[in-house]
Amino acid sequence: MQLNPSMKHELIRKSVRHFAETELAPIAAEIDRDAVFPRSIIDKMRALNYFGLQVPREFGGAALDTISTAIVVEELSRVCAAVGLCVTVHNGVAVYPVLRFGTREQKQQYLSRLANGEMIGAFSLTEANAGSDAGSVETTAVKINDDYVLNGTKIFVTNGGICDLALIFALVDPEGARPANGVFIAESGFPGFVRGEVENLCGMRANPVSSLFLEDCRVPEKNILGKKGDGLKIGLVTLDNGRIGIAAQALGLAQGALEAAVKYAKERHQFKKPISSQQTIQNYLADMFTEVAAARLLLYRACALKDEGVRFGTEAAMAKLYCSKVATGVTSLAVQIHGGYGYSKEYDVERYFRDAKVTEIYEGTSEIQRMVIARAVLSEMRL
Amino acid sequence: MMNSRQKSIWVFGDYRNYFQNRVTLQLISRAVDLSRIISAEVCAVILGHEIDEYIMEYTAHGADRIIAVDDPVLKNYNTELYVTLMEALVKERDPDIVLIGATDFGREFAPRMAKRLKTGLSADCVGLDVEADGLLIQTAPSFGGNMLAEIVTSRHRPQMATIRPGTFKEIPHNYERRSLVEKLPLMKNLPRPRIRLVEYERSVEKEHTIENAAVIVCGGRGMGNKKKFKKLNDLAKLLNGDVGATRPVVYAGWADHDALVGQAGKHIKPKILFSFGISGAIQHTAGLGEADFIIAVNKNPQATMMKMADVAIVGDTSDVLHTLIKELRKRIRD
Amino acid sequence: MLKLIVCLKQVPIVTELPWDEQAGTLRRDLASGMMNLACLHALEAALQIKEQYSADILAITMGPPAAEEVLREAIALGADRGIHLCDRIFAGSDTYATSWMLARTIKQECPDYDLILCGSYTSDSETAQVGPQLAEELDLPAAAYIEKLEIHGRTLRVRRLVDNFRETLEMEFPALVTVSLENYKPRYAGLSGLEAAFDTGNIDRLNAADVGINKSAIETDGSRTKVRKVFLRKANKENILLTGTAANVVGDFLSKYESKISWAIGKDIEEDRNDE
Repeated sequence: MQLNPSMKHELIRKSVRHFAETELAPIAAEIDRDAVFPRSIIDKMRALNYFGLQVPREFGGAALDTISTAIVVEELSRVCAAVGLCVTVHNGVAVYPVLRFGTREQKQQYLSRLANGEMIGAFSLTEANAGSDAGSVETTAVKINDDYVLNGTKIFVTNGGICDLALIFALVDPEGARPANGVFIAESGFPGFVRGEVENLCGMRANPVSSLFLEDCRVPEKNILGKKGDGLKIGLVTLDNGRIGIAAQALGLAQGALEAAVKYAKERHQFKKPISSQQTIQNYLADMFTEVAAARLLLYRACALKDEGVRFGTEAAMAKLYCSKVATGVTSLAVQIHGGYGYSKEYDVERYFRDAKVTEIYEGTSEIQRMVIARAVLSEMRL
Repeated sequence: MMNSRQKSIWVFGDYRNYFQNRVTLQLISRAVDLSRIISAEVCAVILGHEIDEYIMEYTAHGADRIIAVDDPVLKNYNTELYVTLMEALVKERDPDIVLIGATDFGREFAPRMAKRLKTGLSADCVGLDVEADGLLIQTAPSFGGNMLAEIVTSRHRPQMATIRPGTFKEIPHNYERRSLVEKLPLMKNLPRPRIRLVEYERSVEKEHTIENAAVIVCGGRGMGNKKKFKKLNDLAKLLNGDVGATRPVVYAGWADHDALVGQAGKHIKPKILFSFGISGAIQHTAGLGEADFIIAVNKNPQATMMKMADVAIVGDTSDVLHTLIKELRKRIRD
Repeated sequence: MLKLIVCLKQVPIVTELPWDEQAGTLRRDLASGMMNLACLHALEAALQIKEQYSADILAITMGPPAAEEVLREAIALGADRGIHLCDRIFAGSDTYATSWMLARTIKQECPDYDLILCGSYTSDSETAQVGPQLAEELDLPAAAYIEKLEIHGRTLRVRRLVDNFRETLEMEFPALVTVSLENYKPRYAGLSGLEAAFDTGNIDRLNAADVGINKSAIETDGSRTKVRKVFLRKANKENILLTGTAANVVGDFLSKYESKISWAIGKDIEEDRNDE
C-alpha cells in the first residue's frame, strides 16, 4: 500500500501551487469582495488544461488520475476556493458524466470544447423541491418532433452565471405512460435557456451561482445523455464523483487556513512571546494539523479506489463528510487564533471561514453523506 | 628577480568603470592586510591599453608590484584573451592568492581562469582572512545572503576568490608611494578570439539597476492599492533610489516584474532600505540579506519585516510615506 | 535541426528550508526542491528557440534521486528528453567538479550539440560559476548574463548588460550562454504536459561509472574547494520601534537618522529649524 505521494503528484502539486500563488493569491480577496468571476485568469487556466483534468488526450485533456485531480482542486482551493469550485464542478459533475455516459457523437461534439475550457460546464439537478432526492425533479421534458422541450426552474447552479453548457435533470414525458428521469445537455445558447440573477451568498462569492430558467427550451433529442431513463443512475454516479471534488476543495480550504494560523501564531506576540508558545494555541494547531492529515488520507483513498475501477461511493461520501467537517472546524479555529484580526476582511481566514461552510451543504449535505455511509455500514458489516 | 619563495597576493586590475567601481582598490587594501600576516607582496595585474593611469593609482593605493601588459589588442575587455594571458602569468610567477572583483566581468572571467589553472574559486565573497600557513579563508554568501559559508582551497594553488564590491575599504591614496612596475610584452601566438564584439555602448547615464541602488523603497500589499503604491516612486526619486516590490504586488500589476525583490526576483544590497506595508514572507526577505540599514513601516508591529528592521515605524503606511516625503523635501540640500 | 542542451539545478524552496540555528547547519534533506529560477529562464530561452526554429532540447541535471523532478518538469514544459547524473560520489561537488562531470556527460551523450544554455546563477549557492567553467571544460565561446539571443544560420548573436556596458556579441556554434532573469519569463507547466512527462517522458539516469568517473578520477579532477562551515548571518540590529502620529514618528526618525540617509544619498540633510 503506497501512502507516500509519488514524484508526479508532488510535482503537480508544486506546479498548481505556483500558479495559484502567483495568479490567484493577489486577487482572491478582491474577487470575493466584489463577487467577480476572474475571466482573465480562467483563460490562462484553459491553456494549462485545468478544464480537462481527466479527459483523455485524444480530446485534448490532461488524462490525470483521480489523486492528481484532487490535488489540483485542493491547491487551487488552498488559495481561492471559488475558483477551485468552478474547476471541480466543471470537471467533476459536468465533464465526467459526458465522458462516462456520452455517445461517441456527444463526445465529439462537446468533450474537446469542454476539455480546453472553450465551454464551461454546470450541473443542474437542484430545484425548489428536489436536490439529493433526485427522483422529485419537476422540470419536464416533452418531445416535439426531433427536440425535447424543457420547462422548469433550477436553483443554486454553480457556474450558472457563466456556463456555456449545463446538464439538466428533467422528468421525461411526464404525461406519458412511463415517465422517467433523463439528463439533457443544454447549451446556454439554446432558445429558452435563461439565466437568473447571480445569488448573493455567504461564501464562494467569486463563483457566479445562479438559477436557470428553462422556458420552452428546445434541446435536440441527440443531446440526451445516455438513455432517457438513465437520469437517476447518472445522477448517483456523478454525485459520487463530485463528492471527491468537494472533499478536495474542503481539504484545500483547511490546509490554507492551517498555514495562515501557524504563520500568525508565530508572528503574533502577547505577554512578550509569540502566541504559538501558549499551550492552548499549540493544542489547537496540533488538532488542526492532525485532522487535515487524516482528511487527506481518507480523500486519497477514495481517489485510489476510483482509479482502480472499483466502487468508491461510500469512501467518497466519507471523504466528503469528513473533509468538509475538518474544513469548517479548522477555518473556525484559524479565525479564533487570529482573534479580532481573523474577523476582519484584512486577513484571508475570514474568507476561508465563510467559504468552508457550504462544503457541508452542497453536492449532498453532511446529513445525506451520513445516510449513504450508514446504508453501507449496516449492509456491509455482517457481525 | 623574484625570490624563489617570495609569497605573493595578486589583485586583478578591473579598471573599467574606475570611478564608480573601486573594487580593485578595495582588494589591494585587503591584500595589504593579508600580506602582513603571511609576509607576501601585493601585486596588481593590469591588462589593457594606455593603462599608465591605473599603474599610478594602484601604486598609490598600496600595490608593491605592478605587472602590466599594455597593447591595443587588449583595449576592450575580452574573456578569452584575458584568461590566456592570466594563465601564462600565473604559471610563470606562481602567486599564492589571486583576488578578483565580483563585477559582471570578474564573475565571468574568474571561473574560466580558475578552471584553466585547475584550481578552486569561491564566488562573491564578503570576507577574506588568511591563516599563518597561507590558507585563505573565503567567506561567501548563499541563500540570498541569509547564510554564509567558509570556503577553503586546501590543495591547489593559486587560491582564487571573487569579492563583492564594497566589502573592504580602500587605503587612501599616497602618490608618493612607489612600486616595482613590470611592463611585459603581449604574448606571441595568442589564440584567435572566437567572440566578436558587434556593438559596445557605455550606458549613457550611470546604469541604475535595483541591484546596485544605494536606496531602495520596497512596497507590499499593505500599501492598499495601486495608486497609493505609486506614491513610493516619489520617495525613491527624492532619495535617488529605486522602487522594489513583493510578489503579490507585482502580480496584482502595481509594479513591474523588474521591481520584484526576493527569492524569485532581485537580490538587493542597498545602504538604506525602506520597507512599506510588507509582512516579510521569506520569499521576499531572502532577497534582503545584504541590505545595510532597514526602516520598516507597517501598521502591524508584529510583522516579520518589522522585527528585521533597524527602525520599525508603526503606523498607516500612506500617512507615514506622505509625511516623510514632505519632511525630506524641506531638508535635503543638493 | 538545432541541438540544444539546458543544464538545470534543483534548489531547496526557501520557504521550506529547515535550518538548525543552533547547529548552524542546513537540513537540505528535509527541504522540498524546486527548479532554480534562472534555470527556468534558460529553459524558456531554449523553448523559444525551439518554437522559432526546429530544435531538440536535452535537459541535464546532476543531483540526488529527487532531482529527477526538474527533468520531468522540463519535459512537461517542452524539453525532448532528460539525463539525470546521479551518484553518491557526486555529493558535495563544487563548481569545478560539477562542470567537469557535466562536460564528461555531454561529450559522451550528446557531443554534436550546437548551444548549451545555463541559468546565470542558482538561488542556493549563488556562485554563477558552473556555466563559465563548463564552457572552459568544453573549450567553447561563451557569454554570461545574456538577456536576448538570436540565431542566424550557425551564428549566435546575444545582447547583454555587463558592468554598465550594453554589449552585442556574436559567436559561432557550438557555444554556451548563461541566461539572466531579465527576459524569457518562464511559462507555466500545463497539466497535460506534467502527466505526459511521467507517462512517456524519456529520462536516462546515469551513475558515475556510466560516464567513466571513479574515485581516483575524482581525486584528480574533482572539487578544489571545501566548505568548512556554514552559518546564519547574524543580524546585528537594534530594532527600534517608533509609534505615534505620522508627524511624530517621521520627525523622530529624521532627527535620529538623518546622517544615515545623508550617507546613503550623498547629500546633506539639514535639521528643520523652527526659529521661535
